[in-house]
Amino acid sequence: MILKPIIKLENVWKIYQLGEVKLVSLKGIDLEITPGSFVTIMGPSGSGKSTLIHIIGCLDVPTKGKVFLEGQDISELSEDNLSQIRGQRIGFVFQQFNLFHNLNALENVMLPMIFQGVPENQRIEKAKKLLRSLSLEDRIFHRPSELSGGERQRVAIARALSNNPEIIIADEPTGNLDSTTGKMIMEVLINLHKKEKKTIVVVTHDPHIAAYTEGIVNIKDGQIIHNHIQTKKVLWEKQ
Amino acid sequence: MGKAIKEYIKIAVRNLKTRPLRSWLTMFGVIIGVFLVMTVLSLSEGLKGAVMQQLKMMGNDLIMIMPGELTDIMVSMVGGIELTNDNIKAIEKTEGVDIVIPMAYKGEAMRYQGEQRIVLLCGIPLGESLDVLKTDMGFELIEGRWPKSGKREIFVGYLVPEEIFSGMKVETQIILKGKRFEVVGVLKSVGNKQDDSQVYIDLDIYREITGEREGAKMAMAKVKSGHSTDEIVENIKKNLEESKKRRQGEDLSSFTVISSEKMTDIVGSIMTLIQIVTLGFASIAIIVGGIGIMNTMYTSVHERVREIGIMKAVGAKNKTIILIFLIESGIFGLVGGIGGIVLGLGLAKIVEIYTQSQYLFLLKASITPQLVLFGLAFSFLIGCIAGYLPARSASKLNPVEALRYE
Repeated sequence: MILKPIIKLENVWKIYQLGEVKLVSLKGIDLEITPGSFVTIMGPSGSGKSTLIHIIGCLDVPTKGKVFLEGQDISELSEDNLSQIRGQRIGFVFQQFNLFHNLNALENVMLPMIFQGVPENQRIEKAKKLLRSLSLEDRIFHRPSELSGGERQRVAIARALSNNPEIIIADEPTGNLDSTTGKMIMEVLINLHKKEKKTIVVVTHDPHIAAYTEGIVNIKDGQIIHNHIQTKKVLWEKQ
Repeated sequence: MGKAIKEYIKIAVRNLKTRPLRSWLTMFGVIIGVFLVMTVLSLSEGLKGAVMQQLKMMGNDLIMIMPGELTDIMVSMVGGIELTNDNIKAIEKTEGVDIVIPMAYKGEAMRYQGEQRIVLLCGIPLGESLDVLKTDMGFELIEGRWPKSGKREIFVGYLVPEEIFSGMKVETQIILKGKRFEVVGVLKSVGNKQDDSQVYIDLDIYREITGEREGAKMAMAKVKSGHSTDEIVENIKKNLEESKKRRQGEDLSSFTVISSEKMTDIVGSIMTLIQIVTLGFASIAIIVGGIGIMNTMYTSVHERVREIGIMKAVGAKNKTIILIFLIESGIFGLVGGIGGIVLGLGLAKIVEIYTQSQYLFLLKASITPQLVLFGLAFSFLIGCIAGYLPARSASKLNPVEALRYE
């Protein structure tokens, strides 16, 4: 059975107007990601991979072309509608963690749920459960400055999962971590993919990280040069 | 929505606590502004109330007659211009006038138990006018009795035994122009220092001891019931003009004839105008406080671009961002307002206590729930208005650019 794509891009262009200069970041991208897949987007700096995941993650809209999320065209939605989609269906994990320094781990995880109007008792329960599942039960009331890099990224993953989204987008999630911690974070993402069937899109330029995933999209100068989503097997399934 | 606002308030408070010094300094700017506005409002309203209360002590059917124009009243008083006996007779003859009370004033030395002080002596025809003084002019004794007409008896204002001749008692003797008089009564305070410091005496005796055989500084006329006060005012003016014509060669150019009701209206308008002007100046301080809030909020938006980007990435809508920033600026206004109200009304109360202890004026600071609510709502509104543009600019940030911001 062929699964309908959860994310579909049709001839997506992104052009930035910088004064009188036009900067073409994406040039006619076509891409399909099926539900429950684990995909890496790879490419050198300036290749357009960040722009691509911003569009996939509804943080940005294409200049031209169409973006579908489970069949719904989102390329012309209002900013508030895109916020709604981001809040409910997409979770972000950033290279810089992007946690609020004046909030503790629990409060950071609860934040997206506040924007979705989840009642306080449910928020606390859900956030604690997520932090426990990521072995952070001893760090619940610690602020980011009191956590290690790996712990911060796990809090960020817990935050990304707080509204139970179908899609997790991770932008260089191991970029600020040592290799051991990076491996641990990738294992967390693999577990999410395996156990909870989340669709995960990871941006990286590290081939070792890409080796964990089941599909690789190579991008250069705003164009996809290789798309291995269909062919690549998942490493952990081999083992 | 209500529950969401509760959460946004928590977020906003936490953000303000992150930068405590800046938050307090910003709020201090609002405190100063609201403090000034509340002090001015409370005291000016209290002052207006006190003045109006004094004027309202006079009945509506009283008419005041003074020589000279109302605009030059001090010139007439200081210049010694007086109403003549002819003028007073002309008033008495006016149809609809029930009774005329000429009032003569002079500063005289008075001796009591070996102490001598200069007092303002007020001569009033006690026989005819005592009822009017009591019923229409709010004269009330707190001690003793009213003097008898033609007798060497005086009654004194509230402050005479309090300040001028400390410990003065009724049924004691004083000496005026070498003659002995008995103090028979002490008046209840009418609320201003000048009136409360006067010594009242029957007009005939006043003329006898001062040597002023005729005239009066001013006169009060009571209108007969059933007559229109405004109409009688016009008739008195007419009769005074005619009396002037009969005495050619005198330079008295005009008279001020004004009903107590009209006087109340004029004073009320002047007091309102003073209130508006002073409030206008005090409001400048609030505007400065508002600019302080705006400055702080713009700085805050600038510093928190990345935070705004994260909030948007995790699902915050534009209106949520606006709301969070508006709550922050509203808190600046509200907390500043509370501080300003407490300090402003506190100072107004201190001024009230001081003026009353010094018998300067029966000033009562106006402290009402409405004033407090107005102060709170006004300061919160100032905070929100000042914070709106920064909040809007925060909400308009592009999430991708905001996340990239270093």
